[in-house]
Amino acid sequence: MKITITLNGIERTFACEPHESLKTVLRREGYYSVRFGSETGETGAGALLVDGRLISAEVLLAAQADGHAVDTVEGLSPGRGLDPIQEAFIVTGAIQSGYSTPAMILAAKALLERNPDPSEEEVRDMLTGILDRETGYLRPVLAILRAAAVLRGEEVPPVEPWLVGALTGPEVEGPVDLTSPLADVPAGAPLVIPSPEVPETNVVGKPERKVDAIKLAKGLPAFTDDFELRGMLYAKMLYSPHAHARIVGIDDSRARALPGVHAVLHHENTPRVRYASGGQSYPNPLPYDQVSFDNKVRFVGDRVAVVAADSIEIAEEAVGLIDVTYEVLPAVFDELEAITGDAPVIHDEEDMEGAYDAARNIVHHMEAEVGDVEAGFTSADRVFEETFRVHQVQQCPIEPHIAIAYLDSDERLVLRTSTQVPFHVRRMVAPLLGLPVKQIRVIKPRIGGGFGAKQEMLIEDVVGHLALATGRPVRLELTRAEEFMSSRTRHPQTITYKTGVNNDGIVVSQSMRIVGNTGAYGTHALTVQQVSGLRGLSSYNSPNKRFDCDVAYTNIPVPGAYRGYGAPQALFALESHMEDVALELGMDPLEFRRLNWTKVGDPLDIATSLGEGASDIEVMPVVTSSGLEECVAQGKRAIGWHRRGDQAWAAPPDRPHIRRGIGFAMCMHGTAIPGLDMGAASIKINDDGSFNLLIGATDLGTGADTVLAQMAAEVLGVPLEDIVVYAADTDMTPFDVGAYASSTTYVSGMAVKKAAEEARRQITERAALMLDLDSAGEVDLADRKAFAADGRWVGLDEVALHSLHQDQQHQIMATASYVSPESPPPYAAQFAEVEVDIETGQVTVNALVMAVDCGVPINPLTSAGQVEGGMIQALGYGHCEEMVYDEAGRMINPRFGPYKIYRADEMPRIEAYLVQTMEKSGPFGAKAIAEIPKDGVAPAIRNAIGNATGAWIDQIPFTPERVWRALRSK
Amino acid sequence: MAPIRAYHRPASIEDALALVAHTDVDATILAGGTVINGLPDVDPIDVVDLQALGLDELEPDGDRLRIGAMVRLSDLAESDVVPALLRDLARREAPNTLRNAATVGGTVAAAEAESELLAGLLAFDATVSIAHSIGSDSIPLGELLADRSRLGLGIITGVTVGVGGDAAAERTGRTPADRPIVMAVGRRAEDGQLLLALTGVDRTPVLVDPGDIAGVQPMADFRGSAEYRTELARVLTSRVMARLGEDV
Repeated sequence: MKITITLNGIERTFACEPHESLKTVLRREGYYSVRFGSETGETGAGALLVDGRLISAEVLLAAQADGHAVDTVEGLSPGRGLDPIQEAFIVTGAIQSGYSTPAMILAAKALLERNPDPSEEEVRDMLTGILDRETGYLRPVLAILRAAAVLRGEEVPPVEPWLVGALTGPEVEGPVDLTSPLADVPAGAPLVIPSPEVPETNVVGKPERKVDAIKLAKGLPAFTDDFELRGMLYAKMLYSPHAHARIVGIDDSRARALPGVHAVLHHENTPRVRYASGGQSYPNPLPYDQVSFDNKVRFVGDRVAVVAADSIEIAEEAVGLIDVTYEVLPAVFDELEAITGDAPVIHDEEDMEGAYDAARNIVHHMEAEVGDVEAGFTSADRVFEETFRVHQVQQCPIEPHIAIAYLDSDERLVLRTSTQVPFHVRRMVAPLLGLPVKQIRVIKPRIGGGFGAKQEMLIEDVVGHLALATGRPVRLELTRAEEFMSSRTRHPQTITYKTGVNNDGIVVSQSMRIVGNTGAYGTHALTVQQVSGLRGLSSYNSPNKRFDCDVAYTNIPVPGAYRGYGAPQALFALESHMEDVALELGMDPLEFRRLNWTKVGDPLDIATSLGEGASDIEVMPVVTSSGLEECVAQGKRAIGWHRRGDQAWAAPPDRPHIRRGIGFAMCMHGTAIPGLDMGAASIKINDDGSFNLLIGATDLGTGADTVLAQMAAEVLGVPLEDIVVYAADTDMTPFDVGAYASSTTYVSGMAVKKAAEEARRQITERAALMLDLDSAGEVDLADRKAFAADGRWVGLDEVALHSLHQDQQHQIMATASYVSPESPPPYAAQFAEVEVDIETGQVTVNALVMAVDCGVPINPLTSAGQVEGGMIQALGYGHCEEMVYDEAGRMINPRFGPYKIYRADEMPRIEAYLVQTMEKSGPFGAKAIAEIPKDGVAPAIRNAIGNATGAWIDQIPFTPERVWRALRSK
Repeated sequence: MAPIRAYHRPASIEDALALVAHTDVDATILAGGTVINGLPDVDPIDVVDLQALGLDELEPDGDRLRIGAMVRLSDLAESDVVPALLRDLARREAPNTLRNAATVGGTVAAAEAESELLAGLLAFDATVSIAHSIGSDSIPLGELLADRSRLGLGIITGVTVGVGGDAAAERTGRTPADRPIVMAVGRRAEDGQLLLALTGVDRTPVLVDPGDIAGVQPMADFRGSAEYRTELARVLTSRVMARLGEDV
């Protein structure tokens, strides 16, 4: 059939099928700004305007739009240049991955055309249909209000960091007032508490526009799927309906016979090559318990087969024609039951490598000790023991996993994939496909969110197999339900803390036991649980510490890497436990923690026996920078901590069913993996004095490309726009482990800084030659120029032309790599204010405040965004997200709505404070910020609920019935 | 995306009825499409799009209001002739993007178990107009929710509600904008008639006698056990009644 629509003001006619959505038709015509988030339309990634109304094009048939006006973001600013709404989104820092930015911009357009002066509530309502996993909606709302002001002709101030005076430290005299919050702060200004030790810089530390802002604001082709190759085939997976079964037979004959089917792959026709899918350095941690297609399935959603066909509809039909005979086996889902020895054995295959005791479903067993905990418990005045349970949630990137594989004209395999680990993918996929690494190229385009789900070689082997089998390009995109069930999740755990403490409040002994649930496969099983132990026993000093851990196989969908990587689990238990110990001792919970938390100079003792890279540590690491006291003070003021003692506030007389409370959690995280994470960078000068910066680092929307370019610009004395970034292409850029472990700013950044310094050295030598100086050492770079001490200068463009073309020709360029021997921890204070309805158990989170010491924030706008968005993701973890299963192990809520993530119109007040410290080992003083915002929200809310109601809950999420039962049983 | 074989956009209700009644094809009414178009794995269907039939009017009629079946939830949420509480429930029913496409008729037909808007319509004494090939019919919304076969091969053309009086709603969910686990909505008409509807205690939203809340027999799901839902029904009903100034 045909439809005629007025598309961006021009009448157009398109051919389409009756079943095709408007999104499908528009993307086929090259309108890539209309994106996929879920087949049921809640994400709004495919939202566009129909007759001026914002509608989700995922659930609108193209046929329904016939005869109507349709607007996409491509119509906003054709040619070069930006519309005021796009500009506002850029300057407020409202664009992280940018995947749903076109939808938000259209939402703004629709709203402002009807109402040029909307309230914040109206703006938030407009965004309810666009789910965001990255920003907490704070900056998009501000962007729309800013755009409204601009369009009304009003002046708007630039968005700049707001410097907040320190509340602690030697310069502060006398007591400070923590009862009055900051006033008159410009909306959207990142809040920075400067440290006098941090030097002035020109580009670093500034809220620079992201280098990818234009393509993201304009919806230009940038993501994996914004790409088309002639003859591309579409893949569809067949997944297991059983939690545990042997595949006794597969008959693919009917599927193969379907016209348009090019390949059907499964265990009978795919080589059985062992691997672990976690994106980690060589050699990958054991176990190697996966093969591309196995003869057994181990969770509902496990791979059985895959089809490649001319269209997705044919592929889906063919999947339904594959006849599989299963021998269904009993299954086990709970980690404690799985390791008893009586549970079904999940990995009983003979050719698996590296599980600790597969017959008991124990993948790993870990122990680490400092001192003698039992002696410590014996000597302690009081001993407390508590057990906590943390559950399974999914990363929910709005862009699901997607990969395209094709053979280029040299018949090398190219993988264009939404991945956080392009170099690991290349190395790991090679043996599975039977190709050497040199015959594979992996390209990472823009990514629509990852959060660790994409720190995995998840589907690249599948598209690779299919491209090789068919000789055609092949595309595989997971549906939202498949993203929930068949990608990766967080690791559930049962955690027991035992703490020996003296009556003066000093901790003398602490043990942590974890039983982790790694689901059907052991990807990231060792390292996530190691990090849980490392983070669970590093925040506080104790002469005696012990960690012991078993990680269990079960038949649940597979946990892997998820931002925080074991720390959110550990810190929920630790910060809840420390709160309870404080209360039992009759001590103020903050004071008790302060007595025991690590300070500058304290040893990070457990790190030498635990944690990735632990065996490489030769010298006892110590804490070298900590702004924790300042973080606590800023957070207390911002949350209004003093109200905790006010009964009229805690039990408002006009709302008899409500109790209010405020809770705290102390957070400490790592910065990269010492001795393991390596990044490299290359830089070269161009004829006009600009530079190409080639980095292996993987920006997944965090702003890494921008942050790294800022560092290069700072060293070279040029503005940010003179650095042209190209990243994450295994043929073109140097190696980088990828985006995980909060390593990019600290490790990849140091590589960039070193490469830029070497390029700078070469520039100064050329300038010395051109200016006839004796020594290059006196040459300084600033403002695109090279200055001699006497004030004479040459421009970098002249330096470039001279060196490339004119005399002693030489390409000014440099490469550097970096691996760090240390991992200086960022610190943070997390606060939460809640109200609890004591008759129904409903918890409403009113405010979240995090003050974080990440060293020096290289870009305060992107740093603030990481904290704001991370807190909201963490809020979901503690409050309302959960993967729910029926008795047969099938997830019953693989859909947004039943799986509840926060949307724009129900947000708590969120505030992020960036407390500067000068971390000397980090580039320009930086530490890490990406994961620490995930660590403290759940325990802070738990402690706030306890403060409000006296009910202390040891399990998340804090859903209404759980809280109701806790209230009744206290 | 549902496997749709053919798309029809009839210009008259008679043509629409004829398409639905055609026994050779499995024809499904397409209102906004937000439910149908998201369905996976259904048998192939033809769709009959009602957008050209002019069923999108709001018609006040004394102490009643007729809402055309194709009135969008966003229009319901913004119109002054709609009672304030129903406006709020329409806004809460779906996020903005889906609200702009979803329709009142579609919401009635989908009969989602936890629909706040359906509960509100019940409390506002809603009747549903259904066009059949032999004429049209009007049945109370509660009867249609209890027995979908009452729709037969007919097409919902509108919903008529009472206006005026007082209304209140109370709810418990995981977060402020979550679909409630249980929600209670009460409305007292100007003539004193009081109707109370609940979600989360039965297969669909239902009218409940405020004096017999303990008699509800909810089914459990992961968001609430039967015991908890029963308690929520009690608590939320008494809050609604208190706000309406009623003794329970």
